[in-house]
Formats: sequence, C-alpha cells, structure tokens
Amino acid sequence: MKISEDTLKNISQLSKLNIADSMKEKISKELESILLMVDKMNEVDTEQIEPMSHPLNEAQNLREDIISKDIDRDEYIKNAPHSDDGYYLSPKVIEQE
Amino acid sequence: MSNPTSLGLFEQANLLEKKEISSSELTELYLKNIKENEDLNCFISLNEYALDEARKIDKLKNRKSSVQGIPIAHKDIFCAKGYKTTCGSKMLENFTSPYSSTVFDKLNTSKTIMLGKTNMDEFAMGSSNETSYFGKVKNPIDKLRSPGGSSGGSAAAVKANLCAFATGTDTGGSIRQPASFCGVTGIKPTYGRVSRWGMIAFASSLDQAGIFAKSALDASIALEVISGFDEKDSTSIQKKVPNFRDETSSKMNHIIGIPYKLIDKIDDSNIKQNFLDAINTLEKNGIKTKEIDLPYIEYSLPSYYVIAPAECSANLSRYDGIKFGYRCSDPKDLEDLYTRTRSEGFGEEVKKRILIGTYCLSAGYFDAYYIKAQKIRALITKSFKQAFKEVTVIAMPTCSNEAFKLGSIQDPVKMYEQDIYTIPANLAGLPAISVPSGSNNKMPLGLQFIGNHLDESKILNISHEFQKLTDHHVC
Repeated sequence: MKISEDTLKNISQLSKLNIADSMKEKISKELESILLMVDKMNEVDTEQIEPMSHPLNEAQNLREDIISKDIDRDEYIKNAPHSDDGYYLSPKVIEQE
Repeated sequence: MSNPTSLGLFEQANLLEKKEISSSELTELYLKNIKENEDLNCFISLNEYALDEARKIDKLKNRKSSVQGIPIAHKDIFCAKGYKTTCGSKMLENFTSPYSSTVFDKLNTSKTIMLGKTNMDEFAMGSSNETSYFGKVKNPIDKLRSPGGSSGGSAAAVKANLCAFATGTDTGGSIRQPASFCGVTGIKPTYGRVSRWGMIAFASSLDQAGIFAKSALDASIALEVISGFDEKDSTSIQKKVPNFRDETSSKMNHIIGIPYKLIDKIDDSNIKQNFLDAINTLEKNGIKTKEIDLPYIEYSLPSYYVIAPAECSANLSRYDGIKFGYRCSDPKDLEDLYTRTRSEGFGEEVKKRILIGTYCLSAGYFDAYYIKAQKIRALITKSFKQAFKEVTVIAMPTCSNEAFKLGSIQDPVKMYEQDIYTIPANLAGLPAISVPSGSNNKMPLGLQFIGNHLDESKILNISHEFQKLTDHHVC
C-alpha cells in the first residue's frame, strides 16, 4: 500500500498531528513498511469468520448506575493546564458577529 | 545473612514474619541500591515517603498479608493518588493522579511499600525502552544493551535488586520480553483477571497488568494480591481467584504442547537449542510433551499491528491539552491547540502508531483492516482452544533473540518482530509467563509457557517445576 501525500495529510489531520515537511518521506516509508507487513492478513480466507472483540467472549460487566463520590472536581481540575473557578479554559470557539 | 535485597519475596516475607529483618531496614537497603544504580535509569520518580511508610508498617502487631512490608516498584503507567504518573511521556510529565489504579490500591492496602515508579517506553509503545521521554533504561547485565520493553524499568529493577517485585503491563509482550532480556520471571495473566482501572490505556482489548519477580513462586504470591473482579473495569472477569501460591507448589500432571513447526523456523540455532534443552530437562524429569499445531499463528503480528494501533489512536485522542497533560503555548484557536499540543507532547513512535491506527480505522479501510484483523484474532484463539483440548500448557521461546544493543534496531518492523512469540497470547487473552532458561552471548534467554484462559496456576506450576530443576533464575 502506497501512502500518498494526500493520504498522509488526511490521516494527520484526523489524528490532529502535524508532520514536519522534513519528516514526511521517512514517516510515509515507515507506514508503508508496516502496512506491507499487515497485508499478509489477506492470505487468510476469513469469509465465514465472526470478528472477535473480547478475548473471552464475555458480555461486559456493567455496574449499577449509582452516583459515586469518588471524584472530586477540584482535585481533578488541578491537572488542567488552564482553568478558572472550576472551569476548564480553552481558546475561544464562538466568534462574535 | 546474605544481602536481603538479593532474596525473593517469599524469603523476605519469612524474614519479616520472624522479625529477623524490619520493613524499614529492607526499604533502606533498597533505597541505597537505587541510589547506587541511578545510571540504569530504572525509575522515573521515587517515593519520598517510602521509609516513613515502612516505619509505620513495622509498628503493626500482626502480619495481615503475604506482602506486608515488602518494598516494591510500580510501572509508571499505574495511577497512584497524589503521585506523578507520566506513562513515560512528555504529555503527562506534570500529571498528578487524582485517583489510584486498582492494582496500586490492592498492593497498597496489602501494605507493600512503593519505592517509586519505573521507567517505560512512552505509553507502553516499544520493545526496547528507547521511546521513553525520560531516557532509555540500561540492562543491568550489560549496560550497552536494552532491558526490553515496554516494562523495561520494572524488569531491570527486579534484576538489579532495586525492589522485591514490580508491576508491569503487557499488551503484546511488554512483561515477558523484558523479563527474558533481564533474566527475571514475568507473568501476564488472563485478560480480565486483573483490573485495568487506573492503568493508562494503550490498546484496551489487549492491555493486561502483571508481575515481575525473582521466581514463579514469588510471582504467584504477588499475582494473587492484584487479581480479582473489579466493578470499575467492565472487562474484568467475575471468577474466583485461586490460591496461586499453593497451586504453584502443588503436584500437577502436565502435558506440555510444543508447536514444533514454529520452533523449526527459528533462525538462531542457539535460541532453538536453548529451548529444546529446556524441554529436554522437563522431559527427563517425567513431564510429558506432545507436538501441537497452531495454525494462523504467523498472522498474529499483522493482526496485532492493526488492532493495537487502532485502539491506541482511539484511546490517545483524550490528550487534547484541555483537561490534563501538556498544553502548547499561545494557541491561536482550538484546532491549533489540539494539533500543536499533540505534536509537541507525543514522541515519534506514539505518533506513528496513532497514524497507522487512524489509517486503519478511516473511511473505506475499516473492514479491510480492523474487521479482518479481528477475524484473524478469532482464528488464532480457536487454534489455541483446540490445542488445549490435548495439553495443559504450551511452551515456546519468549523471544527470538537475547537483549540487543541499545540503538541497534532502527527499522520499525524489525522492532515489532521482537514480539512474534508473545503477541499470540495477548490476541487470545491467554495467561503467559517467561522464566529464565539460560543464556546466549552471556545474556539471558526466556522460556515461555502459555496457559488456557484462567489457568495461571498451571503456567506458574510448570514454571516452578522448571525452576526447581534449574538455577537460571538465581544466576
């Protein structure tokens, strides 16, 4: 599988990652070599096989939906790089008319 | 008495019980070893309260757990409330956990002493410990060589007597490969046996916590403490935890399955011979073996390198520079904040895996890659289940080579091939263990046993049998 410049641009935008121009060729080549290895999967006929999601095929154990008090807002927000009065701060997303 | 830090957990617990040593004495000795071995770079952070905690534990009248007063290390992927948890990344360099992982909680409640948090490949993505933002870990046996990865700090710390045992995580071999490289015992239990709550996620359907120790018996004691159902992890298994320690030293009748077709393909004749010698040792002592076939196993690596990056790209989308972690300076808008934060905060290997995962999950490719990989995963699991109808455990080498020189593997696919023998157990969710089995070029090699789902006792038991017959684990 060839990773074209457009494909690399598309997946880096989806991933929210910038790739420096000087790195583009190296990254593309490495991704291509990984995908070449991955393409070996196509040798296997999987037509009738159900895809597997949980190794033990168990249903997920969901706990009762009861409010717990494990989480302390102030304790959590201490890790935010920018916060104010219990709110997370982000750059402005709504422009004024 | 020989230096108590060179003893395993089982013997240390006996000394503590008989009051021949105190937890604070033991802690002091370990802290001294850690200081003297700083150049190994095993730790990202140290617990400045370790000695105070040990003194408090020394004042307790009774021993309430098998690990009480034992000084240990945690891979820096486990959240511990109030302590830094970096996951080996610049992204989390200043992150202080607001809550504790279940693994940390269980060991803390059992009164172990956390000496510090160990170094690791960034977000557990790597097989050499070279992707850590905090610098590579050196192998204690030969400092020019890799300790393996991603849990290389934990493996090296156990080998260098910097802790009695250590926690680790294994997504594709991150406990077993470093255990093999450093000459220690490392076990990854059944997927779901140990809670993933508070363990920073890489690939959620593959990640599993486990233990590094000096022997299978030591590992059994520590594994029992961290195992068990946890309602905070929806993939946690609701099954009773056996008495691993008793079952490890009990009498079991094994039939070891050997996938000879796979063994025949090993290039390095020394690695192949080491494996065959280990099997021979067991056979000579009356343990039965049987040839098995594991079809589809050669497709483990391709399938893993779709599933793991796909899940990684989803899990790591949470690092956005807003709620916690690194944030770029002076973002001009939200898009700029996301993109620059992630580009500056993640290292090269992590970015590469996010890109691969995003590609495999993107429109038009999802079925061809992710669904295809999950179908192959089903076939691999089925082939293991078929084999376990005839055998109690399966044996194969842990890795196709001994510890390599740091910086010597540049090709990503060559690095990924480090995990060809360990990945199958993750895909199928099976328990697996690596025990020292001798050496090549003066570096340790590992013998791997894989068990059926929930059969940790059987792989611990056969490992213990092997360690009774050999002294590779005490060299």
